Amino acid sequence: MSAFVRNKRTCALLCAAALGMGLFMPARPAAAAESEDPVVLRVSNWEEYIDLGDWDEEETIELESGDIIGETSVVEDFEEWYEETYGREVIVEYSTFGTNEDLYNMLTLGDVYDLVCPSEYMIMKLMAEDRVVPLSEGFFDETDENNYYVRGVSPYIRDIFESQEINGEQWSKYAAGYMWGVTGIVYNPEVVTAEEASTWKILGNPDYRRRVTIKDNVRDSYFAAVGALKSDLLCSEEFRSDPDYSRNLEREMNDTSPEMIAAVQDYLQALKDNVYSFETDSGKADMITGKVVANLQWSGDGVYTLDQADEDDFELAFAVPEECTNIYFDGWVMLRSGIEEDPAKQHAAEAFINFCSRPDIAIRNMYYIGYTSVLSGGDDPRIFEYMEYNYAAEDEEEEEAAAEEAEEETVEEEAEEEAAEEETAEEEDAGDGEDVIEYDVSYFYGGADCEDGTYVIEAPAESLHRQLFAAYPPREVLERSAVMVYFDQEQNDAINRMWVNVRCFNIRHVPAWAWVLIAALIAAAVWATVKVRRHFSGT
Amino acid sequence: MHFSRKNLGIPYAVFLAVFVVAPLVVLLFYAFTNGQGQFTMENLTGFFTDPNALGTLFYSLLIAVVTTAVCLLIAYPTAYLLATSKLKNRTVIVMLFVMPMWINFSLRITALKEILTILEGNLAMHPFLNAVIGMTYDFLPFMILPIYTTISKLDGALREAAMDLGADRTRTFLEITLPLSLPGILSGVSMVFLPAMTNYVVLDMLYNSTYIMGSLIGSYFAAYNWHGGSMIALVLLCMICIFTLLTGGEDETARGGALL
Repeated sequence: MSAFVRNKRTCALLCAAALGMGLFMPARPAAAAESEDPVVLRVSNWEEYIDLGDWDEEETIELESGDIIGETSVVEDFEEWYEETYGREVIVEYSTFGTNEDLYNMLTLGDVYDLVCPSEYMIMKLMAEDRVVPLSEGFFDETDENNYYVRGVSPYIRDIFESQEINGEQWSKYAAGYMWGVTGIVYNPEVVTAEEASTWKILGNPDYRRRVTIKDNVRDSYFAAVGALKSDLLCSEEFRSDPDYSRNLEREMNDTSPEMIAAVQDYLQALKDNVYSFETDSGKADMITGKVVANLQWSGDGVYTLDQADEDDFELAFAVPEECTNIYFDGWVMLRSGIEEDPAKQHAAEAFINFCSRPDIAIRNMYYIGYTSVLSGGDDPRIFEYMEYNYAAEDEEEEEAAAEEAEEETVEEEAEEEAAEEETAEEEDAGDGEDVIEYDVSYFYGGADCEDGTYVIEAPAESLHRQLFAAYPPREVLERSAVMVYFDQEQNDAINRMWVNVRCFNIRHVPAWAWVLIAALIAAAVWATVKVRRHFSGT
Repeated sequence: MHFSRKNLGIPYAVFLAVFVVAPLVVLLFYAFTNGQGQFTMENLTGFFTDPNALGTLFYSLLIAVVTTAVCLLIAYPTAYLLATSKLKNRTVIVMLFVMPMWINFSLRITALKEILTILEGNLAMHPFLNAVIGMTYDFLPFMILPIYTTISKLDGALREAAMDLGADRTRTFLEITLPLSLPGILSGVSMVFLPAMTNYVVLDMLYNSTYIMGSLIGSYFAAYNWHGGSMIALVLLCMICIFTLLTGGEDETARGGALL
């Protein structure tokens, strides 16, 4: 996806520009008609997690319901839209953070934001600490056509946000989803079989010693280790067929008993000698350049890795372990310290969430970031169309029509025409050998009760281990997904201690001969120093 | 108002107060308090009883010592050769050694990563070696430059005198040149040793997944344990102070030797 390349190049510049605008706009003369001061909205989001606009013409996404292109950044578009819709000027001070922990530390240090977009466990932490403001009643009013979030959020995601609780409070009361995904394994199908990649045990598989990577953060690594350690239980028929399967799974995967933590520590310590690296970002590049053959990855980054590899004509695949997967969300919450019961601010913050949930904006963000939005679009068909646009199998009839059209145009340069014909021929050849499957996403667009077959796209058979599978995993994958909850202080300390134990060199592992050698070296150094000194004072 | 010479120091004093003294005070505060803000020595005793923290210290020291030794072994002959050669374009050659420093650090390490992959096949098989190579690559100029400067400033007459008095080349080197270049060696050693103990970016980028002091502090902060993290930083600071004092002391002796 070229958006990413451009993204990296101009990100810093645009961020600087966005920040600069935030700083300098107050100096601008206020619109004559407005007597009110503009609302200042301080937003903090992940780095590279919103469309910054400035697309090339050919990047236009052509959907049946109209073209979508990002000309200016979503933040600027929001400022314009807000003033047009609500008649009040808003200034967004947009900033970014690198990790959930960084964000939390910045808040502790006294940085103030109105609206932030951390991951689900950080949202739970902020909720538990009473740092967030509940969404207003107006936000949930489905009759208001500007309430794009409630009107468009996927019923599947909505159910999760309503069923997940912390201290008896539903997530949905405080948080609005932004992007979501699952954890899985990106692998090189030439070396690793789909079966081998479909288990957390691949990370410890000695056949791929030093050719797999794991995440450099305790939560993802912990989850993967628990999945591998409990593999037999999680895959057993008995466990699977239990009516309380989902709840049991969530309990097993969030097991922080001292025994489990000790077992995970041993497992990860052994893993340290088997993996290529503990990475946060470099795994994608190492996968594409072929340095590693499998890497633990978030599905959004998985899609990105596969896209990038496709550009190099190098096929990679994505699998979700059979044991279970970690379903994760990033979502918007309003912070108490920023909003301070200012209704104008809260209104602007909720409007920002809604604007980001407008289908065309959500599609722009999805295209730009590569992650999957929590939105299904509601009455608006564009998000489904966008999924088809990305993943549906090429319709042969349509293709032929297109080819005919091209011929009718009587292209002046024959060479070009020939090339076009050749291309069609090739595609047809490929089309003959390629099976098309019906890929069902009814659960996402229609919800748990929606019958399978309602929302189906025809996709190439390979989609089952490709981008579509990562972006919109099928229902049976999500049935074995579990939310990794927020751990309390005590559990957190224990897990972090475990992590330090895994990553640190233990002084007790220094062998006796090494101590003797060190003592000898120090003695030699002291002796030499003394001798040199004597030598000079003697002269 | 009378303008005294002392006022010239104000900009730096302000800088010092804001960016050096203030953070140090904060560091001290966190290092000796617990979560409730009460005074405690627990962080200090905790550090010296934690086998992981001590192990990390050991591992960092090991990397730093080996890196420094390798740098010295490469840098000294190079600097000696360069300083004593009669080449006209010596400054150009010295500039060649410094040139890598003009290129962005992470870019250089990324390039090194590719080179090492070609040489070693799988980078992850030799984490310790990679760390040492990466650090040596990064810090070598800091070792060459001071040694080169010291040797090129040596009074050639001393060497000639030794030769006149019947010392052969080896003895002249061992008794005149080497002792007189000690200040350069020491300043090179401290410029390589100290950053090598904490520069975890090199390890991260070359896939050594064992923590050194820098990454250990980072992990404490990521786990919101600012008190433990500050204490490690403080211990490291103290060690650096002691090290600097020690080499500084040697420096004086060496200069004293030069006078004799």
